[in-house]
Amino acid sequence: MLFPDKLEDIASFANLELLSKQVVEGFITGLHKSPFHGFSVEFAEHRLYNPGESTRFVDWKLFARSEKLFVKRFEEETNLRANLILDISSSMLFPHNEKKNKLYFSVICAAALIHMLRNQRDAVGISLFDNEIRLKTGARISAVHSKWLYGELEKLVDPQFSALKRETKASEAIHVLAESTHRRSLTILFSDFISHESISDIFSALQHLRFKKHDVIVFHVFDSKFEMDFDYSNRPHRFIDMESEEELKLNPNEIREFYSKKMKEYKEDLIFRCGQNQIDIVEADINKSFSQILMPFIIKRARLY
Amino acid sequence: MAIELTDANFEELVVKSDKPVIVDFWAEWCGPCRMIAPFINEIGAEFEGKAVVGKLDVDANNGVAVKYGIRNIPTVLFFKNGQVADKQVGACQKKALVEKLEKLL
Repeated sequence: MLFPDKLEDIASFANLELLSKQVVEGFITGLHKSPFHGFSVEFAEHRLYNPGESTRFVDWKLFARSEKLFVKRFEEETNLRANLILDISSSMLFPHNEKKNKLYFSVICAAALIHMLRNQRDAVGISLFDNEIRLKTGARISAVHSKWLYGELEKLVDPQFSALKRETKASEAIHVLAESTHRRSLTILFSDFISHESISDIFSALQHLRFKKHDVIVFHVFDSKFEMDFDYSNRPHRFIDMESEEELKLNPNEIREFYSKKMKEYKEDLIFRCGQNQIDIVEADINKSFSQILMPFIIKRARLY
Repeated sequence: MAIELTDANFEELVVKSDKPVIVDFWAEWCGPCRMIAPFINEIGAEFEGKAVVGKLDVDANNGVAVKYGIRNIPTVLFFKNGQVADKQVGACQKKALVEKLEKLL
């Protein structure tokens, strides 16, 4: 069976739940093999039974064999609450008129992460924002809840959802989310960070999340071909701001160098500020494979607990 | 390979040793003990000459287990100059044991 690894491998948008499963399985296959054979990983030790305590975990098989009363102790399983935050502003619909845009990429990655989190019994919720919060769900483990999340994510890739002029106000949305999420959780943000607000405002909001003791991973979603390299043909183009619909007529060759330099600086600034605030930032190029998203997540998850 | 410790040779091989010693308290019927047994043997081979690595069957050698208050198995005690310097209770990764041993070297 072939598993989709890149956006281009996905022929058409089918069932998001199934798709996320395929993406994760394709990634997991061959990633690791269990170092343990024959024993449960969680069963960690035998402890002498203390008279009076519950007999629930007494190892009765051992008692039958040797008349020794020992209690089985298991490694404590940690559960995580994860909150996936998706920027659904108009700029995320770039490249425009192409189905496989930044939002589409983010939705598939988010669905794959939900699948992975669910598999390890972690609670997960999603929040969507543009200039305000459009949806905020709690973090839950249940299958019904994740089905609802897949349903909400599927709505984002519906062609009817492509209405323009939805501006980004990431800082306000993140401040509200930081204030309303009380229990410590892992916050995973998908955004292109293209906004009229300053980068300092966005980071003050992310600092708010850190102040509330949340762990944060930021996926900086971009299209390297057009947004970083400015790879447009050499003829005059009309560029339209997807959020404000402002227009600009330009010859790409004239500004390519300046534009690429500015974008590179912006990206470096993002990385630097994330480093300052102990936020993990991952470059999520929509032309590359999904493993660029899933691998840093697995590493972060392993480090957390 | 780890050496077999008993109530009789414990004092001489562990308490009087001039090298750091790690002692794995185990029992034949204990699943987690069998899980870490290969790690203990590997550490014994890797640290040969630098540290002493031993295994003590708590069923056969109750005296030492009682003296050191071993109520859970597997328990790995780390000795330096005859004194308990560190402890690891329960099954764990080899890395955790190696890190603790390296601190004593």
